[in-house]
Amino acid sequence: MKAVRLIRTLVPAVLFAIAVPSTPGRALAGMVKGTVRLSDTARATRLHQGYWRLENGNVPVRPASGRAGTVVVLEGISGVLAPPPRTVTVEIANLEAQPRVVVVGPGSVVEFKNVGKTTHELSTPANESIMPIERLNPGTFRHQKFGAPGAYLVRCSEYPHLIISVIVVDSPYFAMVDDKGAFQMPSGVPDGKATLKVWSMGRWVHEESIDTSGKQDLTVRVLEPRSNGKESETRDPDSKDSDAANSEAKEPEAKGSGE
Amino acid sequence: MFLSKIWFILIAVAAGVALSIALAAPRPMAQKLEELEGQRLDRAQYAAEQMLKVDAHKWIDRVAKLGRDAILSEALDSASRGTGELGVQHKTVQSRIRSLLPDLSTAGIASITAVDAYGRVVARVGDNEKEYGENIAGAEIVADALRGYLSDDVWGAGGHLLRVAGAPVLSKSRDRIVGALLIGAETGPQFAERLKRNLDMDVALLLRGKVIAATLDPTQLAALPELVAQHRAEIEDVKRTPALPLEVGPDTYLAVAGAFPGQASQQQGYYVLIGRKPAKADLGSLLANTSARDLKWGSFPWLSLIGSILAAVAIGLLLQRLEVERPIARMRAELRTLARGEAVKLNDGRYSGGFGGIARDINAAIEHHAMGSLSGAVAAGGFSSSPPGDLPPAGSAFGAQAAFPSSGAPGAVAGSAAAPPPSSGFGSPSSLQSGFGAGSGASAFPPSPPLLGFSPPPPAAFSPPAGFPPSARSAPRAPSALTTSASPPGTGTGIPGGSATDDDLEDDDKHVQGVYLQFLAAKQQCGESAVGLTLDKFRQRLQENKVALMSKHDCRTVRFSVYVKDGKASLRATPVK
Repeated sequence: MKAVRLIRTLVPAVLFAIAVPSTPGRALAGMVKGTVRLSDTARATRLHQGYWRLENGNVPVRPASGRAGTVVVLEGISGVLAPPPRTVTVEIANLEAQPRVVVVGPGSVVEFKNVGKTTHELSTPANESIMPIERLNPGTFRHQKFGAPGAYLVRCSEYPHLIISVIVVDSPYFAMVDDKGAFQMPSGVPDGKATLKVWSMGRWVHEESIDTSGKQDLTVRVLEPRSNGKESETRDPDSKDSDAANSEAKEPEAKGSGE
Repeated sequence: MFLSKIWFILIAVAAGVALSIALAAPRPMAQKLEELEGQRLDRAQYAAEQMLKVDAHKWIDRVAKLGRDAILSEALDSASRGTGELGVQHKTVQSRIRSLLPDLSTAGIASITAVDAYGRVVARVGDNEKEYGENIAGAEIVADALRGYLSDDVWGAGGHLLRVAGAPVLSKSRDRIVGALLIGAETGPQFAERLKRNLDMDVALLLRGKVIAATLDPTQLAALPELVAQHRAEIEDVKRTPALPLEVGPDTYLAVAGAFPGQASQQQGYYVLIGRKPAKADLGSLLANTSARDLKWGSFPWLSLIGSILAAVAIGLLLQRLEVERPIARMRAELRTLARGEAVKLNDGRYSGGFGGIARDINAAIEHHAMGSLSGAVAAGGFSSSPPGDLPPAGSAFGAQAAFPSSGAPGAVAGSAAAPPPSSGFGSPSSLQSGFGAGSGASAFPPSPPLLGFSPPPPAAFSPPAGFPPSARSAPRAPSALTTSASPPGTGTGIPGGSATDDDLEDDDKHVQGVYLQFLAAKQQCGESAVGLTLDKFRQRLQENKVALMSKHDCRTVRFSVYVKDGKASLRATPVK
């Protein structure tokens, strides 16, 4: 069973690896990498705040893996093929999902597997016709196919913090952001114009047009969307390319903590 | 009747105005009350928010204090390090929590959960207390606590709301985190009742489109989730709704919904404050909401109301008496007088308005009846067979200013009362004009009742002259007196200096009848009353004056003609030589 799944995963990946470099008529820019610097809000690891969030005063607060759910995607590159469909398994245990973000090609299937002891009710609340709410008892799984490119949020109605982001892309150039905010695109990004988008905390938090020609390193500063729809740059408390640990120490307190 | 009508109109207008005020005046007040109730709900929602916030801090303090317990710290440290049996650790932690908090329900605690440094449940007290061993590190508040945060959250799992406070448990040396404690505070009926006590208004708690607790009958709040769901976007923006009208059975309420923080905000976890909407301002609602206390002497102006009503009734009755009852009584008295024959018509000038009209109608009916009788008599050529009454001597009152021609020319003074104005009803022009007006003293007629043109003909008032031929006297169509008097003196009629033939008598009779009818017509034209003016009486008067004028002017006969002067019918006598 494991062998079959391995083959099913590896074969498209190999084909994809063969296909991308062989795209004719395009100059390849080579490596595109960079760092994502999230704003305070975007960096916050907690989706749902209560009234208070106070430090204990004795032991320093430990950092969280704030970048774990951040993805950078390059879109709008002409002449590239979408990733082949595949099946990805998301395991739900300990009231959390692993992985929390899945980036797949159109037509891929995501398997939600409840390996914990708690029953969940998963759905895509924004559009329940895509994935209607359904109980997922411990030890059971559910397959869901995602056809069209786009971002889908799968949530548990009982535990709303449990969010799985399924991003269906039509570009093979995407990368997960590590705990330090670094990302590296697959090699062979064609020269030219592209749109770089950043997904974090269950939403697109940044989008900009870039020219991949000769680019070696990118610094992506994520702007925080305001309520009126305009964007403004959030003051980065750690403007000297602070690492995740440092930035986590400056994580905003709960909204009521200062009152 | 005029004043009575005006009074009734005024009363109706006043009643209408009072009713309009009574119905309209409460409306602005009701709107103001609704606005005030909305403001009260706003303040209550703010108070509820503050209360939830303070509560959350209190629970955080409590769980932090609990986490400082050495036994718990040691047990969780042991569990985190993996030393010892988890079952033993479970019992140790559970018993220790129970000893520290023996009565969870009194303290408003639904559950206490202890986890080790990896998020594994070591023990629970309260809900699901037999379950342990599973990992809940994925829960945000647990993850936060294990990182070192003290925080709160609201969960909406299993159809129940739970306010949760979490705190890390430090090692005995207080240099590392060995676990975390969570307290789940009851957020159901008890919490709703407490909110109600503190805020003085009803409370409902909603979760995922259902009412999970309420101080009102939840079955009556079936429409509440839908109502709040319609304002979901507004709640996400400003964390609350405006005051929304809510129909609960026959009552109308105002409701303000606020969102719980934390995870429950994603699960449509709302607390709804419900205040009674002020009563409607329509008549039924006003009456329905009127209590006995409102009608007590001290709180309702009974004296003013009763005084006003009595005054209105008294004024109405007074006006009725003045304008209705008194004229009726007066008219009845006059009608009785009329029936007794003491009067021939009503004094319609004494009545105003409708009663004046009635009096005039009665008078007109009487006149019409009299004229009908006269016309019938004239048409039949018959005259009253009753002899002339005892009239004063002829000529005494006729022709004071009568246009009798002297030597064939009219204008000569005739009659016995040439110089002084005659007081006779028939002698002066005014008397003539008034239609044989009410005379007195030397009047040729007996005293007339007020406003009566003539008194009823006295019996046996007609006495034909001695020389009146029997045939003429008995002839019904030829009143002998008139024919005799119309004849020139010495014509054999018994009147000195005249003799009368049958033709003369007939001519005189026709003349008198013609004058009489002309006189009646003229009076009718002038709007004068002709009641009591019978042909016999008319003839008798003419005869008397004729005789007087004939003897005075030594003329053969006298001819009468009718003319109108100053709007009154009058007679003119012209001697014929």
